[in-house]
Amino acid sequence: MASPLAQAWAIAAKDLRLEFRSRTAFLSALVFTALVLAIFNFARDPTAVATIDLAPSILWITFSFAGVLALNRAFSLEKENRTIDGLLLSPASRTALFLGKTAANLVFVGAVEAIALPLFALFFNVPLLGVLPPLLLVIALATVGFVTVGTLMSSMAVNTRFGEMMLLVLVLPFLVTPVSAAASMSAKIFAARPFAEWAPWLKLLTAYDITFFVICTLVFETTVEE
Amino acid sequence: MTEVPAAERALRRSGVWMAVALLLVAGVYVRALAFTPEEATQGLAQKIFYIHAPSAWVAFLACGIVGVCSLLYLFLKDARLDLLAASSAEVGTVFLTTVLVTGPIWGKTIWGAWWTWDARLTLTLFLWFICLGYLVLRTAVDEPGRRARYSAVLGILGALLVPFIHISVLLFRTLHPKPVVLQTSRPQLPGSMLLTLLLSFTVFTVFFVALLVRRYAWARLRDARAQSAADSPDASR
Amino acid sequence: MPPANGGYMIAAYVAAAVIYLAYSAWLFWRSRSR
Repeated sequence: MASPLAQAWAIAAKDLRLEFRSRTAFLSALVFTALVLAIFNFARDPTAVATIDLAPSILWITFSFAGVLALNRAFSLEKENRTIDGLLLSPASRTALFLGKTAANLVFVGAVEAIALPLFALFFNVPLLGVLPPLLLVIALATVGFVTVGTLMSSMAVNTRFGEMMLLVLVLPFLVTPVSAAASMSAKIFAARPFAEWAPWLKLLTAYDITFFVICTLVFETTVEE
Repeated sequence: MTEVPAAERALRRSGVWMAVALLLVAGVYVRALAFTPEEATQGLAQKIFYIHAPSAWVAFLACGIVGVCSLLYLFLKDARLDLLAASSAEVGTVFLTTVLVTGPIWGKTIWGAWWTWDARLTLTLFLWFICLGYLVLRTAVDEPGRRARYSAVLGILGALLVPFIHISVLLFRTLHPKPVVLQTSRPQLPGSMLLTLLLSFTVFTVFFVALLVRRYAWARLRDARAQSAADSPDASR
Repeated sequence: MPPANGGYMIAAYVAAAVIYLAYSAWLFWRSRSR
């Protein structure tokens, strides 16, 4: 019997392989992100507000919306051909299933972000190179936070009426902490403020990640039991 | 499963509770509006407090009940806990709505703005969003067992989210200048005003319990009727 | 001299009464109509 982590990896690899074959979800998420970034350019008054002041908001609105939209994929894929039953019957534990789905979503959203970030820097003239390490840390922590909660919510939303809309209604309140923390920290990082100024946000976001990772892993079982 | 006649009796009893509670609330209105002195610095608008603060307390109590019932449901799998959580969420949403309506009216005259992103105000708004999401989720799942499980999961996550939103708003606020009007400290309430406030807190709690009991009794009756309708073709009972 | 803001007070009390009475009425209506 494979260890839960190996099972989780097998599930994540399966999801990513499927995604790699068709690339539909990835490409549409990418185009969506690029479009939002481009539209943002016209949704601001360039003479009134400096781009660098708006940059953190643009970055985090774009990332979080693209992320939430991408989350639909994980379970609607299984729902379509009722393959979720196969996964539930397989020897993989429910915890492994959740970890695998979360990992696949993380890779997926991370890949979208990896392409969107240079695009964001290009469109809005944000000098990224000097601030890359702390910014990547912030992006990683925020992404882990909302992908974990989002994966759990999408496992429920897929079985509801108007599931995609429902996912948004369920997840958006949970974005307050990751998005406000990430946007505030990004603003501090872009403005080259000292670490001490954004350390409280870092602690809050880390606590959020740990809390919701643990609780989502624990309660996931109840969302798939039949 | 409860029998239909028993559930109907419980619903009728809850009507008495409701009537008493509504009379008590009317009493608070009379006491607050006619028999409580006007506050010197805030004027008559200060009296909004007598309905705003108790509603807020009740709303938070209701959300607490949703969280506790949700957690217990996951362990006990008792349908009554799910119904209680759903009832509490619905009644809590009503009280949250009142808080969100009366708060800005008070804020407009005392703070000078209908809305500020004050910590408590923001938290109330997001509690309202979570409660609405909870109620909407319940309408979007048909199968009772699944609805109960999903609601319980959302109830628990929502309860966990509350402190995080609170800290987020507090941190967010320290990064921005506080509106000057916010710094006026809470007025010291003289005796008769304090009495009105305490009375109001008590009465609103009773009113909440009455609404909760009524809503719960209705849900029990609805389920009992559905159950008996499902059973009747067999004529087993 | 306290500020004259009785109108705001009336508005808040009326709004709260409307919300609570409407919800109470809805509760009764729901249980009457089968």
